[in-house]
Amino acid sequence: MNPQTPIPIEALVEQNAEEAAPNQGPSILSDNPQERIQARRLRIAARLEARRREALGEYLDGKKESEEDQSKSYKQKEESRLKLAKLLLCGTELVTNIQVATDIREIHRRVEEEELKRQRIEKLENEVKTSQDKFDEITAKWEEGKRKQIPQELWEMLNHQQQHCARLIEDKNKLISELQQELKVKDDQYVKDLKKQSDDIALLLERMEEQVKNVMKTFRQELSHIEKAFEVERQELLTSNKKKWERALQTHNAKELEYLINRMKKVEDYEKQLNKQRVWDCEEYNSIKIKLEQDVQILEQQLQQMKATYQLNQEKLEYNFQVLKKRDEESTVIKSQQKRKINRLHDILNNLRSKYAKQIKMFHEENQNLTSDYQRLVIQFKDLQKAMRHFALIDEEKFREVWLMNEEEVKAIVAKAFNVDMVISTQHLGLPWTAPDYWFLKNVGPLSQQQQKSATQIVEEVLMQTEEEGNEEAVPGMETYMDLPKQISPQTTRKILTLLCDESGFLIESKLLSLLLPLERSECYLLRLDAIFSALGIESEDDLYKLVNFFLKYRAHQLSPSQGSLGDQTKMDRSSFLSALERPSLMSALERSSLMTIERSSLMTTERTSLMLALERSSLARSSLTSAWSKKKFLPKLKLELPELESSDQEPSGQESSGQESSGQESSGQGPSAWEASAPAEGEDQDKERQTSISSELIHPNDVLKILEAFVMGLNKPRDLATTPRKRKGARDDSKDSQYWEALTTVIPPVKQNLWDALYEALEKYHLLLTERTRLLRENNNLEKQNADLQAMLQQYLNSKINSELHIPPTQVFQMPTK
Amino acid sequence: MQNSSAQNLVSTQSGNLASGRASISNQSAVTAQRLSKTPAVSSGPLDSKSKLSNVHRMRRLIAEDPEWSLAIVPLLTELCIQHIVTNFEKNPILTELLPEHQQKVLSRLSPDLPLTVTANLIEDESYWRRCSTKRWAVCHVAKHGGSWKRMFFERHLENVLRLFIPGTTDPSVILDLIPLCRNYIRRIQMHQFLPPVRLPVPPRAGEQSDSGSEGELEEPAMDHYQLGSLVAGLLHLEELDLVYGVKDCGMNFEWNLFLFTYRDCHALAATIKACHTLKIFRLTRSKVDDEKARILIRSLLDHPALEELDLAHNLIGDRGARAAAKLLSHSRLRVLNLANNQVRAPGAQSLAHALAHNTNLISLNLRLNCIEDEGGQAVAHALHSNKCLTTLHLGGNELSEPTATLLAQVLSVNTTLTSINLSCNHIGLDGGKQLLEGISDNKTLLEFDLRLSDIAQESEYLIGQALHANREAARQRASNPGHFISPMTASGAENSMG
Repeated sequence: MNPQTPIPIEALVEQNAEEAAPNQGPSILSDNPQERIQARRLRIAARLEARRREALGEYLDGKKESEEDQSKSYKQKEESRLKLAKLLLCGTELVTNIQVATDIREIHRRVEEEELKRQRIEKLENEVKTSQDKFDEITAKWEEGKRKQIPQELWEMLNHQQQHCARLIEDKNKLISELQQELKVKDDQYVKDLKKQSDDIALLLERMEEQVKNVMKTFRQELSHIEKAFEVERQELLTSNKKKWERALQTHNAKELEYLINRMKKVEDYEKQLNKQRVWDCEEYNSIKIKLEQDVQILEQQLQQMKATYQLNQEKLEYNFQVLKKRDEESTVIKSQQKRKINRLHDILNNLRSKYAKQIKMFHEENQNLTSDYQRLVIQFKDLQKAMRHFALIDEEKFREVWLMNEEEVKAIVAKAFNVDMVISTQHLGLPWTAPDYWFLKNVGPLSQQQQKSATQIVEEVLMQTEEEGNEEAVPGMETYMDLPKQISPQTTRKILTLLCDESGFLIESKLLSLLLPLERSECYLLRLDAIFSALGIESEDDLYKLVNFFLKYRAHQLSPSQGSLGDQTKMDRSSFLSALERPSLMSALERSSLMTIERSSLMTTERTSLMLALERSSLARSSLTSAWSKKKFLPKLKLELPELESSDQEPSGQESSGQESSGQESSGQGPSAWEASAPAEGEDQDKERQTSISSELIHPNDVLKILEAFVMGLNKPRDLATTPRKRKGARDDSKDSQYWEALTTVIPPVKQNLWDALYEALEKYHLLLTERTRLLRENNNLEKQNADLQAMLQQYLNSKINSELHIPPTQVFQMPTK
Repeated sequence: MQNSSAQNLVSTQSGNLASGRASISNQSAVTAQRLSKTPAVSSGPLDSKSKLSNVHRMRRLIAEDPEWSLAIVPLLTELCIQHIVTNFEKNPILTELLPEHQQKVLSRLSPDLPLTVTANLIEDESYWRRCSTKRWAVCHVAKHGGSWKRMFFERHLENVLRLFIPGTTDPSVILDLIPLCRNYIRRIQMHQFLPPVRLPVPPRAGEQSDSGSEGELEEPAMDHYQLGSLVAGLLHLEELDLVYGVKDCGMNFEWNLFLFTYRDCHALAATIKACHTLKIFRLTRSKVDDEKARILIRSLLDHPALEELDLAHNLIGDRGARAAAKLLSHSRLRVLNLANNQVRAPGAQSLAHALAHNTNLISLNLRLNCIEDEGGQAVAHALHSNKCLTTLHLGGNELSEPTATLLAQVLSVNTTLTSINLSCNHIGLDGGKQLLEGISDNKTLLEFDLRLSDIAQESEYLIGQALHANREAARQRASNPGHFISPMTASGAENSMG
């Protein structure tokens, strides 16, 4: 509604603002009947249109109804909406019709006004023209008048002129009055317009109010319609739902009844079944009852039995109980006794403890005494050892002499036997005789084997030797029996070994190294070398020599083709070494190594500290292990033990003594072997000296590893672990001796002896025969003496010759008589 | 003195009432007095007893009094609020109060308080509502953005301006008002500008011949109030609706009551040019001729905010229309109203030319002009390329069949137009048929006014049917969110119904 409100005001003002003009727009309240007719027509047209639109809306409604089957309320809503829209549209049209009417009126007015204006202007222009003409005429006449000399004429003319002017003025006044008339009319028109506008506005207001009322009414109506429609729909819905519900209830009831009947039937059935079941159950129950009663009786019997046994048992148990009680008493007594005993024993224990403490003290003192004794004994032992060595030498000499003597004796006998044999074979058997060629026949002096020394031992010896060269003049034998330098001097070996020791420190376990730090240099070297050799697998003396030789060769190779390329050289070297060292590879021989260490340690016992003893112990322990590498595990233990050992002097003393013993044994054993070994070496000292003097310095430390690598590659010696249990160095091998001697006894083989026996038997027989013959001959002779005195002298002569030649075959004998 | 005590009370009473009562002796004295009075008045025989009894006794006696109740004793807050209300003019205390107390104070304040006190202090709508309803019987608050305060100030300013007589009224009346209402006024709607009154009013009726020349001579003196300073002071002014004229002159009509002088025009042009917040500018019924229209429109070129220009009911001819056309291409104008002017074919052609390439204009009103077929055809041609215009009013323009033919062609192509008014033209029977053909292809047009345009009733009826179908379709599009429709058409449909 709002947009329409300004319109009347606007229209009013619009009309106010404009010149008062005749209002010719159609209005029902107009005075003009035509205008009223026009207005009514308009109204009718509007109504018609409204009706038409209504029809259209209905048509649309019908269409909708037919198209979609929707709820009544929706339909009603739609209907109402359309209706209201229509109403509003019509209403606004009705209201705006006034504006439109005014507009068209205004247009008409404007057209008319324009026309009037045009006419007026035309008129004015015409009037101006005519008045101008008249004015020109008058002014022209003025000129004419000036020329007039006659007053009468002039007066006439003036009168005339006045008349003209008056007419002109009259004309003008007329025009003015006309225009004023028009203006007045316009004023009237303006008043009319004002009235008209107010009427229009009143109409507009009326219409608007009417419209508002209408709209409100219709809105209310439609609202009520819609509400009714909703109500109806709700009612319908309710009734339909109620019906549905009732129907559902009925069906439900019917079903319920059916179910009930079914259930009743079922109940009856079940009851019957139950009865049956009950009867059956009763029967069963009875039977079971009887059975169970029987069972009960049996069980009661059993119960009685059980009771009897129970009583018996009870009695037994009671008796046992009594016995146990008594025993308990006894045990209490014993217990008290035991307690007393314990107390007593405790006392004893305490006593013993005190005694033990005393004993410890005593032993401690004793120990001290013993250690001092031991030291003294060690010194004594050293002396003794020296003496032993000395005696050993002497013994050896004696042995040799005895041996030689015996041998000579034996050999004389053998020669005799051989002579006999030769006589027998050549003279008696007529066979050609050849002197048997046995090895032992050529042997002179005691049998000696080249003793296999362990590498470390050699090293030790070397080291010892070189070390003790200066201060140990007292042992001159040392140098002589060192047999290792076949071509190499101990110094060279030592140098090589120190080099090796320095360069291949990586082969030694770090723990061992740390352990070795506090030791003195030579010992350190020794231990290190030990470790290195065990790592490299060098065990025997030979290996060591090989190593040393290897080094020297290498160096020699390096020197000789010094101009050649190094790569070739090493290659060649390696190949040569490989060929040279095509020996079974070195495997870890645990026992040997352990033995080596034992020996080594035993050699040095006297000077060694308690550490060495510990080492010895470790090595002893090691010997029991199967793997060489298990050494590692012992090393920490060893370390742990070290302080213990050093602190307490008691245990080492015992160990020492044992070590001493072993060393004593070994040194005693070693003596002869070393001495034996040294013998063949003496002659070669010369060239070895020469060679080594060149060497040693020339081996560059950097090459050591290469050499070692090559060496290890080459050293491929398989070591049978169990085959050769290491011979004790000191023990002289007597087996060969006996063999030797036995062999000497069996110079004449048994075949020959058999032959001899046979021969002997034959000869015996022959001898018998001969004796018989002699007897017969003697008889014969006697007979012949008797027979021939003559020939006796000759015969006697002949016979004497025969006596000297007993060997002459009987054929000769038989020939003799023929002779 | 009293004020300060009241202030004290206010500051303390918000905390603890009891302590406030204890601390302010004045107030407690008052209550004591009241307490002592009540029993004295109500129970005469107990008077002597009460005097003797101590305070506790007294209280008991009070409790026994059947008429006594706690409601009789006003709370201290109430008293304070009362005090504040009575002294609000001298000492306005409002923002310091608690919200509930503020509400109480506002509900008791008199609407007659001077604006200098209330204008910038009170924001409460209910107070301004009371003020407004007291002053004016009819209050259309919806027209003022739903804000009573805005309405109050706008109407107040209107009243002041409407009764402002240049030369006699003190301009400071308005200038004093500016700081009070600058934040609240968004619209100035002035339908009356009083001309300066000359005390010796010459008898107009007698000297008819001289009146014109005299008007010419005295024109400088006929200037109206210059809005410049006022508009510059208003921060949020958006709408300016002016009519240079006198209302309800009735039979005292005089031409010089409706004079919009050149000086007025220049001043107004400068004013609207300076006002960058202006969105709607209306200058109607003010005898704006071509020259003045050109002056005004020149000042509006490239205005940053202007959206609606209404120069209806003036004397604008073709040159003014050409200027408006220029404005169309140099602004973001959405609504242009040139109804009831003297635009003829050339002016309409220039407008059509501008319209062809415009993308802002939504509504164009050329009612009651005389653009005739030549202009109508130009406009129709322009609508071929225009994709923005939704409302076109060409009522009362002496249009006839050729324009209708062209418009029918446009209707079958255009999809933006929703409302066309061709009432009061001479379209004729054939034109009506062609329009019917055109609208049968159109699905967007919702309103098509062809009243009093000599069309056959049948075709008018069929056009009405087509429009009804279009409206239904638009309604369904609006109700069905699945479809994308422009809100403009939907609102247009709504408007057409309401």
